[in-house]
Amino acid sequence: MDMMWISILLAFAMLALLSLGVWVSFTLIAIGGLGLILSENYQVDLLFATSSWGASTAWSLTALPLFIWMGEVLFRTRLSEDLFKGLSPWLGGVPGKLLHVNILSCGIFAAVSGSSAATAATIGRMTLPELRKQGYSDRMAIGTLAGSGTLGLLIPPSIILIVYGVAAEVSIARLFIAGALPGLLLVCLFMGFTMIWGYLHKDELPNTTGHEISWSARIKGLRKLLPVVGLIGFVLGSIYGGITTPTEAAAIGVTGALILAACTGSLSRHSFMDSLLGAVKSSCMIGFILVGAHFLTLAMGFLGIPKALALWISGMSLSPMELILYLTVLFVVLGCFLDGISVVVLTVAVILPMVQAANIDLLWFGIFIVLVVEMSQITPPVGFNLFVIQSLTGKNILYVAKAALPFFLLIGVAILLISVFPEIVTYLPTTMSQK
Amino acid sequence: EKWHMPTPYGDGNLPTQIAYTFAQEIKENTKGELDITVHSGGSLVKHTEIPRSVKTGQVQMGEVFLGILGNENPVYKHDNIPFLATSFEDAKKLWEAAKPAVSKQLDKDGMMLLYAVAWPAQSLYSKDPVNSLADLKGQKMRAYSPSTSRLADLMGTTPTTIQVPDIPQAFSTGIIQAMITSPSTGVDSQAWDYVNNYTDVKAWIPKNIIVVNKRAFRRLDKATQQVILDAAKHAEAAGWTKVAARAAKDKATLIENGMVVSEPSPQLLKELQAIGKTMTEEWKAEAPKEVGEILTRYQN
Amino acid sequence: MSQLKEKLYLCSGLLSGLCIVVITLLLLAQIVGRLCGFIVPSAEDFAGYALAASTFLGLAYTFREGGHIRVTLLIERFSPLPRKIQEGTILVLSFCLLCYLSYACSYMVYESYIYDEVSYGYIPVPLWIPQTTVAIGVVALNLAILDALIMVLRGKQPTYSEQEDSLSLEEI
Ligand code: NA
Ligand code: NA
Repeated sequence: MDMMWISILLAFAMLALLSLGVWVSFTLIAIGGLGLILSENYQVDLLFATSSWGASTAWSLTALPLFIWMGEVLFRTRLSEDLFKGLSPWLGGVPGKLLHVNILSCGIFAAVSGSSAATAATIGRMTLPELRKQGYSDRMAIGTLAGSGTLGLLIPPSIILIVYGVAAEVSIARLFIAGALPGLLLVCLFMGFTMIWGYLHKDELPNTTGHEISWSARIKGLRKLLPVVGLIGFVLGSIYGGITTPTEAAAIGVTGALILAACTGSLSRHSFMDSLLGAVKSSCMIGFILVGAHFLTLAMGFLGIPKALALWISGMSLSPMELILYLTVLFVVLGCFLDGISVVVLTVAVILPMVQAANIDLLWFGIFIVLVVEMSQITPPVGFNLFVIQSLTGKNILYVAKAALPFFLLIGVAILLISVFPEIVTYLPTTMSQK
Repeated sequence: EKWHMPTPYGDGNLPTQIAYTFAQEIKENTKGELDITVHSGGSLVKHTEIPRSVKTGQVQMGEVFLGILGNENPVYKHDNIPFLATSFEDAKKLWEAAKPAVSKQLDKDGMMLLYAVAWPAQSLYSKDPVNSLADLKGQKMRAYSPSTSRLADLMGTTPTTIQVPDIPQAFSTGIIQAMITSPSTGVDSQAWDYVNNYTDVKAWIPKNIIVVNKRAFRRLDKATQQVILDAAKHAEAAGWTKVAARAAKDKATLIENGMVVSEPSPQLLKELQAIGKTMTEEWKAEAPKEVGEILTRYQN
Repeated sequence: MSQLKEKLYLCSGLLSGLCIVVITLLLLAQIVGRLCGFIVPSAEDFAGYALAASTFLGLAYTFREGGHIRVTLLIERFSPLPRKIQEGTILVLSFCLLCYLSYACSYMVYESYIYDEVSYGYIPVPLWIPQTTVAIGVVALNLAILDALIMVLRGKQPTYSEQEDSLSLEEI
């Protein structure tokens, strides 16, 4: 059968199964199996077992359940409440108010965690219930979280930059440094958008502060932030102080959260078990979807669909800007159906030579890739941030995707900005080589 | 017929480039009857799962770093015994000596050896210059296997496990101060960003091997089988010629980027050779008969 | 009988949670080991095995709690009878899929056992041992799906969808 027809068939089958209410992970496995059979590969059983074993024992993923657990523990302490109480005197006067807590906490937590699912899960567990309680618009609370959760990939450490760095033979240390400014840029874009939105939709925000807030109240508020800041500082310090690697930092984070919970008296046998079972529920869900995504990726590798699409683009002899445009579209389309990291793995061998031929800086291209992968994290039907937020809120994937749409577009703006001003990416790494 | 061949390393690496040429030659000489798709960089199958995938016929061919098979059988360990074979000539001789035992073991697992490609010799990267082992005493050195761990012990350093992607950060934050790896890996990860000294001790010369599933191979007609065997012979020959050039080029790149590249001092060399002797003895003790045979063949 | 079932589901969740605790302890041990100059042999391997065990052993518990997510946008608009047919259909489909996966994973364990496969790190761990947790987890999920299917056939609402409904009610 023609590859185009196979692709269309697989996409339709996936949409059909999903809309029938088949669980996401089961759907991905079924489509992967169908893909293998269509590629005339009949060892579906062996391939499933090998791919699942490989996917579920990956060292880089061990941090995920720990960060999720950390979020569950913190959710059961007074810490999340304190986070809001401490920040509200500062953010109360800013349009969009406490919605910025989502963006800022994700930005900070991203410096600890290398994955966007872990960032969205940990921060969302703390912030979403509190924002809802205070009467913030659900849609905006979810949108800001879905959008800024993706910062986990851009701000170092980052799983995807490691994958890219190894494949493209670009220094991972440089990639990490290159991600810092674009990360800040995204934070600014998200906050700017939230301010404009807040200014236009005053009716959808709780009406708390009509009067000026005194500086003493602000300073008092800061005190409430001490435990949270201490915890994050402790984890960051252990990474940059040379005590742990980023993966191991998750263990430090959980331990710190448990100690904090114990100190504030909110740790009991009951809450410990509750938090652990809560973590089991989320991490099993994500873990099994990852198993399915990995299996589907394997089928795509055998079928060669992403590779063929990349080859088709490379045959068009495009200018560098056109190439970037086409690649963005390619990644966004593939990213709807496949997990973003898989898209990179499947296409990098074809794409890198054409990127080099077009004289595009490989370091810059790495950050570009992260941005498009971030977009794929929030596009339906397969988007890991959407899955995480659906399981946190019970809201439908499409609702979450709609809420995340403005942030999807803002990442597009960021891509445009780094294309026009590549220095945003390359400036910091060049200062590094002059040491 | 369409075959799939997963390889563990990216396109910039010599073994992967040779794999592409190998697949191309087979396609041409069979007039397109046998079309092998190379899936580089672990994009189809993760490195650690490649042996199993070939063994069970999930893919027909695959490439694997010989060192990771050490736990399955001591004969595979010939590939990473430090200071046993330190020049390409010796490494080739050692490979010829070990080949019958390796082939036999692979055959037992349903696989057939096609060819091997060597890496440039593994040398010492360190934060501070090293003139003798005393300079390394008490420092932390990266270890990733029982034998690198033992080596670190014998060198008077503390073995420390670090995953490959974490290496740059581990050096800059002081988790480790030394590691032994090839100049190619150093160039790939731009080692000059995080470490200054490269001492060319040439500890050992590891290889990647390319294997084919026995059943898949037997199902081919005689002519096609011969095409594969010929291509494998060419690939192995090309590997040994190109790796020497590659080693020189990579070392030059390290110098170009400001790393201090030095030859080991006679004192250091003497100390390291003593360690090599100890580790060879320990290896021999693991399987006196098989390893003994390899060593006798190698040393004569 | 139903009490025993409850206990088994909870057991699935607790075993999975235990594995998360094990990962935490392993990573902490590795950090401490690095500070004190000893190596925890194969810590990454064991953390990986614990991760796989955690993911798979908790599948049944997660399924019953409605933790595995799906798109309910279309099906929640169905009237009761078509909805029952839809749930029945997807449960039968899922049951068939999981029967196949149970076979695939069990066969993997068997194959690792007869081939004497061992891990590549410091300690040569026979792979069939950690792989058994994967097979057990998939089989348990398979049984959980069967359990839900029987509930639907008896005309009751499956537990996972009760959980889904309570979640969305709480949110509206
Ligand atoms: Na990050
Ligand atoms: Na997506």
